[in-house]
Amino acid sequence: MTTTASTTTAPRFVRADGPDKVTGSGRYTADLTLTGALAAKFKYAEVAHARITKLDVSAARAVQGVFAVLTQDDVPDVKFGPFVQDRTLFARDVVRFEGEIIAAVAAVDAATAQRAVDAIVVEYEALPVVNDIEGALAADSPLVHTEWAGYGGVDVLVRHRNDASFASIAKGDVDKGMAEADHVVHSRYVSDGCHAVPIEPRAVVAQWEGNKVTIWTSTQVPFDARAGVCETLQLPNNRVRIIVPHLGGGFGGKCGFHYEAHVAALARAAQRPVRLVFSRREEFVAPDRRREGIVYDFETGVSADGKITARRAWLAIDNGAYTADAGFFSQLAAMHALGPYRIPNLLAEAHLVYTNHQPSGSVRAPTAPQTCWALESHTDEVARVVGMDPVAFRKLNAVDTGAEGPSGQTYGEIGLQQCIDAAVGAAGYGQALPDDEAIGVAIGWWPSFSVPSGAYVKIDGDGSGQIITGAQECGTGAVMTLRQLVADELGMAAEDFELVYQDTSVAPYDMGATGSQTLFNNGRAVVAAAGQIAEQLRSLAAEQLEASPADIVLADGTASVAGSPDRGIPIAQLAGIAASGQLLIGHGSGMPPGAPPTVGSTCVGDLGMSAWVAPQFSCHAVRVKLDRDTGVARVLHVSAAHDSGTIINPIGAQGQVEGAVLMGIGQALTEGTTYDDQGRQRNAALLEYKLQTCADAPPIDIHFVQINTPDAGPRGAKGLAEAPNVATAAAISNAIAKIVGVPVRQLPMTAERVWNTLNSFGQTGLEAQS
Amino acid sequence: MNDSSTHHINLTVNGIEYPVTVDQGRNLLSVIRTEIGLTGTKEGCDDCECGACMVLLDGQPVNSCSYLAVQAQGRSITTVEGLADGAALSVLQRNLLETGGVQCGFCTPGMLLSATALLERNDSPTEEEVRIGLSGNLCRCTGYTKIVAAVQQTAVELRNG
Repeated sequence: MTTTASTTTAPRFVRADGPDKVTGSGRYTADLTLTGALAAKFKYAEVAHARITKLDVSAARAVQGVFAVLTQDDVPDVKFGPFVQDRTLFARDVVRFEGEIIAAVAAVDAATAQRAVDAIVVEYEALPVVNDIEGALAADSPLVHTEWAGYGGVDVLVRHRNDASFASIAKGDVDKGMAEADHVVHSRYVSDGCHAVPIEPRAVVAQWEGNKVTIWTSTQVPFDARAGVCETLQLPNNRVRIIVPHLGGGFGGKCGFHYEAHVAALARAAQRPVRLVFSRREEFVAPDRRREGIVYDFETGVSADGKITARRAWLAIDNGAYTADAGFFSQLAAMHALGPYRIPNLLAEAHLVYTNHQPSGSVRAPTAPQTCWALESHTDEVARVVGMDPVAFRKLNAVDTGAEGPSGQTYGEIGLQQCIDAAVGAAGYGQALPDDEAIGVAIGWWPSFSVPSGAYVKIDGDGSGQIITGAQECGTGAVMTLRQLVADELGMAAEDFELVYQDTSVAPYDMGATGSQTLFNNGRAVVAAAGQIAEQLRSLAAEQLEASPADIVLADGTASVAGSPDRGIPIAQLAGIAASGQLLIGHGSGMPPGAPPTVGSTCVGDLGMSAWVAPQFSCHAVRVKLDRDTGVARVLHVSAAHDSGTIINPIGAQGQVEGAVLMGIGQALTEGTTYDDQGRQRNAALLEYKLQTCADAPPIDIHFVQINTPDAGPRGAKGLAEAPNVATAAAISNAIAKIVGVPVRQLPMTAERVWNTLNSFGQTGLEAQS
Repeated sequence: MNDSSTHHINLTVNGIEYPVTVDQGRNLLSVIRTEIGLTGTKEGCDDCECGACMVLLDGQPVNSCSYLAVQAQGRSITTVEGLADGAALSVLQRNLLETGGVQCGFCTPGMLLSATALLERNDSPTEEEVRIGLSGNLCRCTGYTKIVAAVQQTAVELRNG
């Protein structure tokens, strides 16, 4: 790792939850058992679109050992959804994707529950399956939701028939900009959907005591899960407690509200604790969180000297059967389709389209990796037409400090240009390579999300502390890093603090492990909370040392008088004094920075995604070797440069980049969901849906460009966990295109697709029609 | 009862013998997790695809989701709970933690057992050998870089005593 500034504070970082995880003593949700607990199983639709003509659960209820069988008739009749209220807990009249839940069973054990599920009788009248994203926008397409117009939803959403959320961003005069161009380059790309695939399948355990329910669940967003339970079961927040044991990864797949309400409803009906554990197939098919497939149409006008004069982008995004959290995808994807470039005249239009596929939802940097792949592949095509080196073309057109981005936001200090230089330099771009190898380059960007967040800090009489935070750890280490922030604020050691976290009844609100927001927002909160204790400690020390509180310095576990290091008192001793007087308790939240202004752009369907607080930038340069006989591409080396602000936890930050890059390689080459002609997934298993293994992983060089961006989080930190997932697939695409001669226009760029492109272009000079 | 499908067997896990009664079709993973009560061994796919359920059987790594409990009778089973010596982490456990090879931790038990077996049969593996040796264990968090580094570091430390 190289950094351009040495502001890191923790050269060596050992996770507070690490010993639990390496010894096997750490408990994940599926490891929990409660006395008398029952097993839950769901009855799924198994067809993608049909009207339910008969649903009979009487035989299931009669199975010995069954305690509860629920359908939509047994729960409050509530339609829910954060953007469009288009869904109920159980399907009642119509099923709209194969993984939709029709009924739930709780029984003495999993085998009995499965027998009861199998005894449920469902009869269907087939409805036409909406299986094609673009086709769904046609005026004569069957509707996924015939009653769409009557659904409640967020006011600014622009909805029409199968279009659940239309967004556009316009600036300047795109027709004029195209007319002024010396070249206009047109490209079409298609990305398939793919999955988050955390290694832990989700699990939920629910137990009622009186009218209160405690739910242990593998969610990334405990407060959002609580909100979903409260909305659908009509309960107040203070009677629902969500606890997350250790969480076995998420990557967005465990965001949103999922099955907590189903299991809570089963537990209430059965009057027993109930436990649900997903199989890997359920993990693939059922959740409303898979990465969306998108169809892209780009047109870029460019002058003879390589300056972009105009861009048009049109996107159709697969929403799947229900809108989940994807309402903002259209605007966010439009931003990614325009990219971090200076473009005077532009129009991006994006449609979020209902289909009878599994619902889409936020998977690590939603819409970004695939849109970056399409845009950056297109960008290399534009550079080729102009006759410019693609890196020089990006240096000329990419935004920089003080430049105006596509939505009319003028950036403060940012490090994109430095990222390009760092990644390209480390990759040895320009060196002579064998003719089956090439280095591809791509740039990406991602917002930091500025949202409310809270935490408490307390120090007990023995001098040991606890950080009680609403933040959620999903593996990234962001919550672990909070200890360092608090310790530094108080002149103590990170090891002096334990974390109390992932419990909605104990800690204040936090948005959860989503949007790379933990350090940015909860970091602000814990620093504020620790600051209150620091003030208390200074007052106490001032009394003891007969000095002014303003002169007290907290360092190395001691409160001492500035300039007189021998006049000091251990903080632990001050904590003992406080324990018999005013207790050491701090609470913090801090005001999240507001959205920056945009000037001169017009945004339709504006959900606040066009102005980015403390934006992050990146450049990946990837060396690829291609086997021309088989179409198999192998990534030999990745150079990743990131402006994610100040890096507070270097080992954790490297881990985020390494993991995200490998996920990006998977998305580039092997990870894609395929559907049969009835809208059902054909590869919902790990043998058919291939993740990258240890043997596949290339060396990854990481460079952090540490820039002092305005409105960043604690010490200048921005987000980090999603940004490194953005540009990898794009860079791989550009390397493959250099070897093949043209880009592979469908993601993932499987060996078969590469081979087909190679052979049609290699033999005829013409591209294959996909 | 001991009908044709039910077996009374003794399983030796981390040096302790456990008498258990199991159906003959029961997999070793579920018996370790529920009957014996050691939940460090994880279930990620139940189909031999992810490696989260890996245990050592007489020192050899196997996916316990796809191994019958009755076949493990009379053999020595090691799970992640058997790697530390009391409160003292094994060299591999400590290195995995200190290099940053642990994130969500769900693949960690299987990864530790694969790597332990690898280092038992090869005390100085090349990077390539480590990567191939761990290729049956899927990790979605780390990109494997720091895990490979931890295994190599451990090999050096164990060789140097």
